Amino acid sequence: MTFRIRPRALALVLALAAPCLATASDYTVQPGSTLGFADSFQGSSFDGHFDKWTAAISYDQTQLASSKFDVTVDLSSAKTGDNDRDSALPGADFFDVAKFPQAHFVTTAFHQQGSQVVADGMLTLRGVTKPVSLNVIFKPQGSGATLDVSGSLKRLDFGVGGGQYADTSVIGADVKITAHLVLKGK
Amino acid sequence: MSLRSDDRQWGSVSKLFHWVVALGILGNGIWGLLMTGMSPSMTKIGVYALHKSIGLTILALFALRLAWRLYDGAPQDEPMPRWQRIGAHLTHVVLYGFILAMPLSGWWFNSLHGYPLQWFKLFNLPALAAKNDELARTAHAIHESLFYLLLLVLIPHVGAALKHHFFDNDNVLRRMLPFGRVNRDKTSQGELS
Repeated sequence: MTFRIRPRALALVLALAAPCLATASDYTVQPGSTLGFADSFQGSSFDGHFDKWTAAISYDQTQLASSKFDVTVDLSSAKTGDNDRDSALPGADFFDVAKFPQAHFVTTAFHQQGSQVVADGMLTLRGVTKPVSLNVIFKPQGSGATLDVSGSLKRLDFGVGGGQYADTSVIGADVKITAHLVLKGK
Repeated sequence: MSLRSDDRQWGSVSKLFHWVVALGILGNGIWGLLMTGMSPSMTKIGVYALHKSIGLTILALFALRLAWRLYDGAPQDEPMPRWQRIGAHLTHVVLYGFILAMPLSGWWFNSLHGYPLQWFKLFNLPALAAKNDELARTAHAIHESLFYLLLLVLIPHVGAALKHHFFDNDNVLRRMLPFGRVNRDKTSQGELS
């Protein structure tokens, strides 16, 4: 018995299987993207941002299993608009950039919470790795997209401002993380 | 001792305002001069926060004191030469100006530097001006200079009080002392024991 591959049938099978094999699209981060954080000091909130960071983004709303965020942040690039604070942040009491120059966030899974997509991941900061979840708002635009994420972490979980600065009535316990990414399809 | 002032002596409310503000300003001023040399630490943050909270308290007390003074009035001037009476009142007006200017200049400096302003961790007060690092340096110099000038004005104020007490033996100081009792009889040379 001979077995003959029929090209038309093969094409049909591949076409049907394609959605299952498809992976999320890769994007590169464009200028205009921002990575920020916010906390409070003596009852007054302040905003900061990182000037230097990179992110590898693979995302598809319908392909969450193969989506992935991988973000590396240069901690010495933190700016908050105040000289005293900005000179304190890289120090041993806070980010300790001499020992831990970078923070790293990588997603482990995405899940849907109602209509909201949540990215679960592990954040490594100041030598500590802990789970951090981010709300994801992804808006495709032509061949690219905009991606907005927001989440929050407890600074003392990572030893940021531990020791003498641990008093959360002076420096707030919760740090809000926000990022706005302008993405271009690869 | 009455709460209200009478024509011979200050009431206990006025006395309390006077001495609390006096000790507060002197203490907070010296505290302020010492704290600027501290290296950055949580202790420094706490020390500055306390300085600001005390300064704001003095500002609030000053407003209350002024209101009380307007309501309560003041004892009549002790007998003294006209130039001394004018000098004393002038000194008081200048001192009132400094008591007001000290905390306000600190608040202004704090605003220009972009620091939060919190009263004993209970509530925050708004900034008086937008952040301006260059002007902040000037404001700091003004805030500090005002304290030295205030100390200068204290020389005639305290000096005159002591002179009247020890040399003229009158009631000028006695009527403001916390537990002082004025000599009701102008001709006697002090309290009979």
